[in-house]
Amino acid sequence: MSKPPAVAKLIDTSSCIGCKACEVACQEWNDQEFIVGGVGGSYQTLPDLAHNFWNLIKFHEEERDGRMNWHMAKYQCMHCVDPGCLRACPAPGAIVILDNGIVDFNHENCIGCGYCITGCPFDVPRLSPKTNKVYKCTLCSDRVAVSLEPACIKACPTNCLSFGSRADLLGRAERRAEQLRSDGFQNAGVYNPSGVGGTNVIYVLAQADRPEAYGLPKDPRIPWTVALWKGPLKWLGNLVLIGGILGTFFHYVRYGPRRVKNAE
Amino acid sequence: MLSEERIDRFTFQERAVHWLAALSFLYAAFTGLALWSPRLFWLSAVFGGGETIRAWHPWGGLILAVVLGWMFRNWAAQMKLDGDDRIWLKNAHRYATHDEEGLPEASRFNAGQKMLFWVQSICAIILFSSGTVLWFPEAMPRSLRLAAILIHPAAAVVSIGGIIVHIYMGTAAVPEAFRGMIQGQVRGAWAASHHPKWYREVRKR
Repeated sequence: MSKPPAVAKLIDTSSCIGCKACEVACQEWNDQEFIVGGVGGSYQTLPDLAHNFWNLIKFHEEERDGRMNWHMAKYQCMHCVDPGCLRACPAPGAIVILDNGIVDFNHENCIGCGYCITGCPFDVPRLSPKTNKVYKCTLCSDRVAVSLEPACIKACPTNCLSFGSRADLLGRAERRAEQLRSDGFQNAGVYNPSGVGGTNVIYVLAQADRPEAYGLPKDPRIPWTVALWKGPLKWLGNLVLIGGILGTFFHYVRYGPRRVKNAE
Repeated sequence: MLSEERIDRFTFQERAVHWLAALSFLYAAFTGLALWSPRLFWLSAVFGGGETIRAWHPWGGLILAVVLGWMFRNWAAQMKLDGDDRIWLKNAHRYATHDEEGLPEASRFNAGQKMLFWVQSICAIILFSSGTVLWFPEAMPRSLRLAAILIHPAAAVVSIGGIIVHIYMGTAAVPEAFRGMIQGQVRGAWAASHHPKWYREVRKR
């Protein structure tokens, strides 16, 4: 059997109207309550993602060149090709990359250490105080497994969200960015950050030169401290442990015990 | 006659503190190694499973920190490095190869033991503070967590490396040293040979 193609979600922020149907659909499908936390002076449902709220439209207002910009961008797990959460996770099988590219958490293997929260360049996973396990968007891996599109995509009324093979959607994203550029948004482009090997959640941004305006990091990378720990430090540590045990053993074989001197 | 002589090496209180530290260190080290790499995660099964060690590793570290604080009160004054110790450390390779001509005589603790004490003390402070950050990830700012996730395992490598040598020295490498830490007494000849300065002080009393 050949490997299934990588799937992806495309978010065309230029056609998001901030209706929050995706938020509701996500809560519905994942059997979670719709929380209304409120952010003062904004339409945003909650200040940030939560362990029981995996899909949040971020509303950003800014005045630029005398005009008001109102950015809306759905925020959730980016399903990185090289996920920082997985790099940091100590528990085998707690975080897995499915054949179709979805980064999924297996809660029976999660130990609740929270290292993935620190390893994630997008600050997405959240610890549940009730189960002491970590939760995030699954890209509806349970729906995708039976050939359904994710709940958020099903609910979107404007086709801002689409789901399909990653290769197809990257092409569509580029064409949409091209269209926006010819419409006068010179900086329109695709957000598929290479620092994490690309993502399976792709954005079209009218101002791709400033992803921060949409609440997205400019150049996300696996944190260097995590990379250093899981890279060179791991090898240095293994050398110290194995070298220490072998070194002391062979020291004994070569020099033997330290005898009491006879003189006195 | 001399070989029959027994002198007190460590009081009961010193030994109790040492072994409390040893047990909590071994617990923290082995559960820590389980979290060091997914390839060593099987160690967690020995200690009750992943969720159990995630919950108890920090408590093991907390107990270790408290016990080490007590140990510090016991020994810090005796661990000060003097001029002889500096000469000893410069010639540590000669100690290691049993070529001890001209090595300064050791007092109650030799310079190697003193270095272990200070290295472990510094590691303990680093491990405890970074461990506290990792204990409560959601209560800590991201910058602190990013630092702690690297510093904690790095200090652990130094600390465990030192303890591997310490266990070797205290068991196979120096016969009778272990008895001193378990039963509290050593033979006079042993003390005169390994810790001559200290032996003469004890005899004077």
